[in-house]
Amino acid sequence: MLRASEVTKAYGTDPVFDGLSIDVDAGEVVAVIGPSGVGKTTLLGLLALSEEPDEGTVTLDGTNVWDADETKRLSLRRRVGMVFQEASLFDASVGRNVEYGLRVRRPWSDRLRNGVASLLGANSTTDAVRESLDVVGLADALDQHAGSLSGGEAQRVSFARALAYRPDVLLLDEPTSDLDPRNTAVIESAIDAARDRGIGVVVATHDMHQARRVADRVAVLLDHGITEMAPTEVVFEDPSDERTRQFINGELVY
Amino acid sequence: MTFDLIVQFGLALFELPFREGYVSSIIYVSLYVSLAAVALSTLFSIPVALVVGLTDFPGKQFVKSVINTGMGFPSVVVGLIVLFAVSNQGPLGSLELIFTKQAMIMSQFVLATPPITAISLAAVTGVDESVRDAARALGGTRFDVALVVVKEARYGIATAVLAGFGRAISEVGSVLIVGGNITGADGISKTRTLTTAIQLEARQGQYETAMVLGAVLVALVLTVNAVVVRFGDRGVQR
Amino acid sequence: MTIQRRQFIAAIGAGAVASTAGCSQSAGGSGGGDESGSDAGTGAGVAGETLTLTTTTSTYDTGLLDEIHGDFEAMYGVSVDAVAQGTGAALESARNGDADVVMVHARGLEDEFMRNGYGINRRDLMFNDFVIIGPEGDPAGIQGMGSATDALTAIADAEATFVSRGDNSGTHTKELNLWEAAGTDPGGEWYQETGTGMGEALNIANQQGAYTLSDRGTYISQRSEIDLTILVQGPIESGPEILANPYGIMAVNPGVHDNANYDLAMAYIGWITSPSVQDAISEYQVNGEQLFFPEAVSEDPDFQQYVPEGWSSESTDE
Repeated sequence: MLRASEVTKAYGTDPVFDGLSIDVDAGEVVAVIGPSGVGKTTLLGLLALSEEPDEGTVTLDGTNVWDADETKRLSLRRRVGMVFQEASLFDASVGRNVEYGLRVRRPWSDRLRNGVASLLGANSTTDAVRESLDVVGLADALDQHAGSLSGGEAQRVSFARALAYRPDVLLLDEPTSDLDPRNTAVIESAIDAARDRGIGVVVATHDMHQARRVADRVAVLLDHGITEMAPTEVVFEDPSDERTRQFINGELVY
Repeated sequence: MTFDLIVQFGLALFELPFREGYVSSIIYVSLYVSLAAVALSTLFSIPVALVVGLTDFPGKQFVKSVINTGMGFPSVVVGLIVLFAVSNQGPLGSLELIFTKQAMIMSQFVLATPPITAISLAAVTGVDESVRDAARALGGTRFDVALVVVKEARYGIATAVLAGFGRAISEVGSVLIVGGNITGADGISKTRTLTTAIQLEARQGQYETAMVLGAVLVALVLTVNAVVVRFGDRGVQR
Repeated sequence: MTIQRRQFIAAIGAGAVASTAGCSQSAGGSGGGDESGSDAGTGAGVAGETLTLTTTTSTYDTGLLDEIHGDFEAMYGVSVDAVAQGTGAALESARNGDADVVMVHARGLEDEFMRNGYGINRRDLMFNDFVIIGPEGDPAGIQGMGSATDALTAIADAEATFVSRGDNSGTHTKELNLWEAAGTDPGGEWYQETGTGMGEALNIANQQGAYTLSDRGTYISQRSEIDLTILVQGPIESGPEILANPYGIMAVNPGVHDNANYDLAMAYIGWITSPSVQDAISEYQVNGEQLFFPEAVSEDPDFQQYVPEGWSSESTDE
């Protein structure tokens, strides 16, 4: 569904990717693993349709993203959701945070009307918001202020925020590296729930155990490209690429 | 107006020789001119602060130093410049703005904009970049992201607006020059503010009266500050 | 929380509506606004207009104008914006066309104004006088002198503290003329230029027990609060003529500024030089004393009021 083909990207004279290809389908979880600093975040930026590759193509359902005009590109970009390593919640209630993605996708006449209504005290929360908070187990935190949440709770809200507007693709950048085991488990089960809804999930992680737990397929990011992309067990038990094998076994020194 | 009665009562205590409606009319003019100027300035300054804070463009450093210079710009000079502009001989002469509240709003707009812009700019740049990234990644257009930034920076922006209001309502020299300190023969102010009324009393050597008006002005500023801060606190308690 | 917020929003909304109501009021009354277009043909053609009159701060501060303007406004259905700016600024505003009529008490400057074509239809309006005041102890010994110039010379010789307006106002101009006539150049530590209004200058003089030149009106209004007394009288109380303070009124020449409200200016000049208003001027009192003496109404002709002083058809200046 979402595919990057033969992508090359460099920052100034520093090459990041050279002929990289990766894809994710609806209803599957792809884990991207690799050493730190290799470019996982940049790759997610490419997949989020916000960074343009120097060469190569990025397509969503066959539509070439960077050939399209701005309006079309915005609507394509809006089919992708992202969760960062830091929750980065807005200074507002949990409900307002989760609702954000839904809000910006409404037409302006609706937004103005809702804005005036809420100023005058009307308080309406859509089902989508409640539902997404349910997935991460925070349905009763709806009216709590984002600043009063713990780190783990905030990250879970951040997940719900990206889920609420039903994206086709969900990208997660090291979503649990700052979390304790309990919150990590909640996030991982939320990833499952997202997959079950037909969302294509890409998780960038340095935690290979997590990759084994959640992913259907694993992409190994090494040497400016994807050295291996295969079902999870294949990558971990019997990778075909030598460098991949060295990385999995912890033999690579950077 | 009950406010008029309260003011009259208060003044009776001091036995001040003011006609009925005088003090409330100068309070009205002070507030009207300052609030209008601050409102217009805010509408102008916030987009400017967003553009300067969130985007890159050639001459950005120059714009920032203009804003900072504007903060310290002598207000009476602004008055002179507005006077030249709206005088019959000036480029805006045909609009007949000299000695009107509108000219006073113009000069206070020029004075309030630098502090409102500069402090809003600081508030806007203080918003974490990760929040901006999140807003964009969740499907926000640049405008949506700007709205998010404004909401995140709202307390800083409120401070900026209060600073601009403080500068506007305390202004004497420029509003005197372009407004003319006019009241009607019935004592109702047309372009006389609390500050220019104080100046008039002081000019006549009536220092006690000037002090009372000064106290009224300070009370007014404190009230406005309290109202805005209170509103902000309620927001925090959510 | 939401209820309080709602009330707050309602209050702001009400305030916004109220302020826009004030907005339309002010738009109607702003300088030069010509609403008489809709009234054309019914009543006085100037109804609804605003007359901008610039004058000096000492004139305005006597309160005379606020006292009499109400009648003029009612008579014509107009409003008068009296702008107290000080002599120089009042004439400058008129020169720029920001005023319709100007009332000052500086004959030399008025003459220059007319010569340059900015002012026409000048009339003598009224007069009061200046007095030299000072501490009761009178260190320079000028009490009761019949010559203002001698008094100033005495003050200079004694190096007694003297407070000057120093602001090119009518009073300051008169003071400088007196020094010049006395042949003395004031300067040194005893001569203090304040750059303030008359009331403030009196306070400063009072604090230092200094001499100063004041218009009688301001002195009368402040007499109860200061310890200075009149040492040299003005012509109203039989003092020297040189201390006379005559006021003149002029219309701004519509030939120079075609947007000057000439009709209304002439109506005003006609009204203020009319016998009934001149009477009202003489009846105006501050602290129980008459301040102004009317000059406009006279059985005998006074051609010099219409032209720069000393002008005649044979003189070379235009």
